[in-house]
Amino acid sequence: MDFAKSDIQTMLLDSAERLLADSSGVEYWRERRHDPLGFDEGRWAQFAELGWLALPLPEAAGGLDGTIEDVALLNIALGKSLATEPYVSSVVLASQILRQAADRGRADALMGEIASGTLRVALAHQEPGADPLSTEAVVTVARRTADGFVLTGAKLMAADAPSAAQLILSARIEDEDGVALFLVPADADGLTVDAYPLIDGTRAADIRLTNVALSADALLIGSNRGEAVLDEAIHRAGVALMAQAVGAMEACIRICGDYARERKQFGAAIGSFQAIQHILADMFVATHQARSMLYHAIANSNRPAAERAAALSAARIVIGEAGQLVSRSGIQVHGGYGLTDEYAVSHYFRRLMSLEKQYGDLVRHTERFGDSLFA
Amino acid sequence: MELLHDPELESFRKEIRAFIDEVLPAEMKARQRTKVQNNATIQDQQEWMRILNGHGRAVAHWPKEYGGCDWTPQQLFIFNEELYAADAPEFDWGGTHMLGPVLYTFGSEALRERFLPMIRNGETYWAQGFSEPGSGSDLASLRTSAELVGDKYIVNGQKIWTSGAAHARWGFFLVRTDKTVKPQKGISFLIIDMASPGVTVRQIPQINGEAHLCEVFLDNVEVPADQLVGEPGMGWTYAKFLLEHERTTSSFIYWSKRELERAKEIARHERVGGRRVCDDPAYRARFARVQADLIALEWSVLRVLAHEETGFPEAAAASVLKIRGSELQQEITMLQLDALGAKSLRYYEPGPEAPTPSADWAEHVPGRTTIALITRAATIYGGTKQVQKNILAKLAYGL
Ligand SMILES: Cc1cc2nc3c(=O)[nH]c(=O)nc-3n(C[C@H](O)[C@H](O)[C@H](O)COP(=O)(O)OP(=O)(O)OC[C@H]3O[C@@H](n4cnc5c(N)ncnc54)[C@H](O)[C@@H]3O)c2cc1C
Repeated sequence: MDFAKSDIQTMLLDSAERLLADSSGVEYWRERRHDPLGFDEGRWAQFAELGWLALPLPEAAGGLDGTIEDVALLNIALGKSLATEPYVSSVVLASQILRQAADRGRADALMGEIASGTLRVALAHQEPGADPLSTEAVVTVARRTADGFVLTGAKLMAADAPSAAQLILSARIEDEDGVALFLVPADADGLTVDAYPLIDGTRAADIRLTNVALSADALLIGSNRGEAVLDEAIHRAGVALMAQAVGAMEACIRICGDYARERKQFGAAIGSFQAIQHILADMFVATHQARSMLYHAIANSNRPAAERAAALSAARIVIGEAGQLVSRSGIQVHGGYGLTDEYAVSHYFRRLMSLEKQYGDLVRHTERFGDSLFA
Repeated sequence: MELLHDPELESFRKEIRAFIDEVLPAEMKARQRTKVQNNATIQDQQEWMRILNGHGRAVAHWPKEYGGCDWTPQQLFIFNEELYAADAPEFDWGGTHMLGPVLYTFGSEALRERFLPMIRNGETYWAQGFSEPGSGSDLASLRTSAELVGDKYIVNGQKIWTSGAAHARWGFFLVRTDKTVKPQKGISFLIIDMASPGVTVRQIPQINGEAHLCEVFLDNVEVPADQLVGEPGMGWTYAKFLLEHERTTSSFIYWSKRELERAKEIARHERVGGRRVCDDPAYRARFARVQADLIALEWSVLRVLAHEETGFPEAAAASVLKIRGSELQQEITMLQLDALGAKSLRYYEPGPEAPTPSADWAEHVPGRTTIALITRAATIYGGTKQVQKNILAKLAYGL
């Protein structure tokens, strides 16, 4: 165990500091809403130039073979600056699935495109009414045909799908047990993408598939391995998202501290009132504990699936609750200003709420962790 | 003490329920249920006021001589509860609950005659111009000045957080008329025509996509001197009166009861993993706790309404309502979002009507987050939670 940053990590954080600090803040975030995809494609290209999009990818695909710690550190920086880019979907989630694909050559080519910023891939797994933590809750069916498959089904709230050219879809192949994963072009015939923004400025989409015809090579992962591959990929995405939450909290408590020093009422800085000092102290405690739990989740990421899942769920409890406390108290410290779109704290509020509820909310993760204690 | 249910009140409730059912237009009710914004549209609020006024029930809580209903506090409680339960548009708070009582208590005959009928009949939306950029919790430090020149006040300054000012034809303002005395003594209560030259309103974009909050800039605005309510220098006293008058309404008990029912509707409808959210023990436990807290709040409200002798200053009991009431508003709206799960993250453009529902996106989805986000303000407006606790500690313990 070593808490010091490696050289590559220091470099990564330096570059993150430079690029993200220059292009973040309330004005930047508000402008992004007018971008058709919710983020600036130019900055995505810069992510590629800096090697961020190649970070966790295998060398064979032109990647940097970065560790989960590297990915987490970069995501802390992305979280601090409330980046809306689909980093986790493409670079963490999709690439983790692609790495396991049977056709290595094709997978490497696709990951190469992800690394260079020319391809974005999103996962469309969650179905209406399904348990967000379940990898098996899939009703979408794939029927085998002479030259491939025909898919029919519905997916709800696929994160970052609106900016993805390719989707990874989970489906059950007729007469087979388990869940298979398919790579499907977002503009395939019979596939509709109903896109919308989320409260934090990122985008999601509902996907409907009506007899979508696919060639045989669309099958990325067969029914025998689909759930295990999904589980690991979603786990990694969960770690990255929690890293973003930690980054968001760490930025938020600084903003609130600054505000408490500047804002005066009754002839004194509001930070001189003990009521405010105690709120800020609680925010600090929660944020510190949140980063600790991120480390716990990372430390267990190579353990057997059940242990790994329990560690992430435990992390999501502490980080989720910390996110609520920090974001809610953050607004409270700001008074009326906290409710405006013109102050950063309201943007942190929305992002923290969004992070808490993606890939299973606080309630689900509490249940899962509780179950693991008595399994 | 006699606490058993009163059959007479129950028949009153029946009468009120039937009355609302008869007079509340169906489309208005539907809009109130599905709106993707925090408040009813100004048009619906005003139209509803006119309808109620036609039946003599627009300002039920006012004294009879000014159009009130002469009901007991318990009857008023039931009336309000039934209005919210029926999804009636809320009142123009500024007029009916703030300015109105100040006017009939302290205003001149001329001002009463001029403005009370307007308020009763919902003819205008009223802006409340108290807070300033530098004067929020420390309201008494406000700087907007009104200088008497001949028979006019010349008003200069800036207000902020003036809810609905962009739609308001009239506003009531706290202004400084005397800079030489102790801050609280130099404040006056002035009615200003928002259409006057020199009044500029900027809408403030909010966390939930709405822009109901406003900044109001006052640049040499001329206001007839007879629009000063009561005595010059008494504005602070009137403002405190007004906030105290609001005591039990600041619990938002009626609103919270309706919203908790809505949360239950959501939990009965939404499914996760084949199970209704309400069948999930984790949610059951949360609903149970929130409902129990809300029942406690209701009894606390009834005790304040009845002026129960507690051995503590009555204002301390009233502080309980504001502190706990605002917390519960937030707990209930967050419970709604949690019951919706990730669906609550979808952003909907605010508007008076919800988009057409679908199988996955029921009518109760749009609007919940819009309202929950702005409900973070419940522990800020009307005196922040921290300031309320300071006051309570002083009132209850003399600290
Ligand atoms: C949605 C909304 C609607 C509103 N509508 C209106 C309206 O129509 N008209 C109007 O005039 N105003 C309105 N307000 C303004 C509201 O009354 C003020 O926001 C409120 O009084 C707090 O002032 P502030 O925002 O300046 O916060 P501040 O006073 O700057 O407070 C910032 C923080 O410091 C804390 N603090 C301040 N003083 C102390 C102290 N002595 N001890 C401990 N902590 C302290 C506060 O609790 C808060 O956490 C509205 C506000 C909101 C959010």
